[in-house]
Amino acid sequence: MSATTTVDYGTLGERAAAGLKPKALSDEQKVERAKEAMIAGMTADMATYLESCIHCGMCAEACHFYISTHEAKYTPIYKLEPLKKVYRRELAPTRWLNRLTTRDITVTDLENWKEFAYDSCTQCGRCSLLCPMGIHIQSMIQVVRNGIAAAGMAPAELQAVADEQKDKGSILGAGPDKLREVVEKVKAKGIDVPLDKDKADVMVLSSALDFLKDEEVLAATARIMNKIGANWTIKSDGFESANFGALAGDTQAQRRISKRIIDAAVSAGAKKVIVAECGHAYPVLRWEAATLYGKELPFEFLSVAEYLGQEVKAGRLKLKKVNSGASHVTFHDPCKIGRLGGTFDEPRDVLNALGVKLTEMESHGRTNLCCGGGGGVLMLKSAKRLREAAFELKREEVERTGAPTVVTACNTCMQNLQIGKEWLNWDKDIVNLVNLVSDNLA
Amino acid sequence: MNEGLYWQGMSLLDFARGPAFRWAVIIFVIGIVWRLGALLLSSRKDLSSPKGSTTGGGVKTLLTRSAPPHELEKNIVFQHYTGYAWHIGMFVILLFGTPHMLFFADILGFTWPTLPTPFITFFTVVTMGILLTLVVRRMMNPVLRKISTMDDYFSWLVAFLPFLTGFLAFAHITFGIRYETMLALHILSVCLLLVWFPFGKLMHALVIWPSRYKVGAAFARKGVRA
Repeated sequence: MSATTTVDYGTLGERAAAGLKPKALSDEQKVERAKEAMIAGMTADMATYLESCIHCGMCAEACHFYISTHEAKYTPIYKLEPLKKVYRRELAPTRWLNRLTTRDITVTDLENWKEFAYDSCTQCGRCSLLCPMGIHIQSMIQVVRNGIAAAGMAPAELQAVADEQKDKGSILGAGPDKLREVVEKVKAKGIDVPLDKDKADVMVLSSALDFLKDEEVLAATARIMNKIGANWTIKSDGFESANFGALAGDTQAQRRISKRIIDAAVSAGAKKVIVAECGHAYPVLRWEAATLYGKELPFEFLSVAEYLGQEVKAGRLKLKKVNSGASHVTFHDPCKIGRLGGTFDEPRDVLNALGVKLTEMESHGRTNLCCGGGGGVLMLKSAKRLREAAFELKREEVERTGAPTVVTACNTCMQNLQIGKEWLNWDKDIVNLVNLVSDNLA
Repeated sequence: MNEGLYWQGMSLLDFARGPAFRWAVIIFVIGIVWRLGALLLSSRKDLSSPKGSTTGGGVKTLLTRSAPPHELEKNIVFQHYTGYAWHIGMFVILLFGTPHMLFFADILGFTWPTLPTPFITFFTVVTMGILLTLVVRRMMNPVLRKISTMDDYFSWLVAFLPFLTGFLAFAHITFGIRYETMLALHILSVCLLLVWFPFGKLMHALVIWPSRYKVGAAFARKGVRA
């Protein structure tokens, strides 16, 4: 079985952050910009949600960061406080009344809320499933991030990489050149990678976050695509799944970054675009890209887990039974492709085809507990304590399954579980679906 | 002939039953229409293709959200069931207390069976007990303290007073005040509730439905049950 190595994103992020030039904005300008961005991001749906909150605090009990720390400040709805204030003072029908009781947001609020909108929220959406009023809390965290980012106050690690990706098309220095280099390495192993084909039915995305350390995941993906026999390509001008614009909350960067992929897919005439095992990339592309682009798209986005499941079901992807190693597994649903992507059956169909014994965790499928690293949190050194606390919850649920192997389908979950494994010297194997499939092609 | 406090030839009970109640209902209705209307802002068009029916998902969530999956519900059991209990108590008292039924029968033109007095008294005492427990919890629990506002306490008071005044009037515990005055205070406390309703969190009784629908639709769009 292929071993996956851990990349120290915290240090890489810190290094990137050192190069970030702070925006020269006065406190008043910061507050003004944050308010503008939050008002721009508000929708009628969000107004309904904010109007219906009864301050019952139940959302806390859905949040892995609250459950694992019992610190009241990590209550999900509290993380929306700046947006709530802006809504109450500027937009709500009772704003004339609210202004008497709700004070305006300040730079200190924005500074303090970095911890709540970024460090302590992986945007996993579990709270949105518990709220008795039906408040989609997760959907509004991004608007708080938009506000903080517009004020130039997003975590430097994320903003620096967002700027780099927006302007240069690379992540942590890894762009098209690095991709070509990695493709050559994969080819040297005797695996064909049709890079930059003019026309192809399927366009496969990769991620620098996968190949920064080695070419293993790209090689596994290529092996599978070749086995399926699809007419596929990977395009050097639109290969990056990750979108740091979205993670930082920088909408302009998000739009430009996802447009690259759309343009590449349109020019290749692709019918399907396969998003690499990169959690946030899936909802960003599948649910948000078309709206930001302003047009319906002539192709569909599929997560790699979704695609593999469909190909297995259609009989185009034949797998052999796993006979060693990962024969008894539990599956960690990545929040962004599961709860926020509706992909539950497909990875399980693949595991079924591999003939492994699957024991589910208590929280699986739509109620899965986040690994603690999503939404860019893995990148933030300041969130280390929170990540470790959340990992403990995950570890307990995994332990109770008795399965020696955890399979997942997201690079971030993978890395975060791997870091946890190293931290606690945990005896579980962490395996990603693509590698498991690639190692067991019939 | 009404007894009790008089002001300019009108008893407090006349005032409560007459102009106070009339104006409270007018403010209640206009306020609700205005606040719900304001929520019908222009929705933004989503250009991604849905994985499931948003309407179906929205409608389902209206009901299914009342019973969250076990792994989510296991940590909120106390709050969840006390919440249910006092809301049920409120509806039982409101609909099956004889004086309330007669009040609605006056408007609707038909009557229905009601519960005997001891039952209604029991429900009232239990409901008040739960409400008191919940407000104490709101003041003690760190999460609730963190997110509570003046609205939470004021709305609690506004919701609690009709139970208290109703109980005192019904049980004739009037501390030397005439029964009619206590009854007038009960009706006035309901007027206060109606007037406050559109401005504070009591509105959740109505906003909960579009909110649940929207979250259900948002998740259904992604192919997920919510």
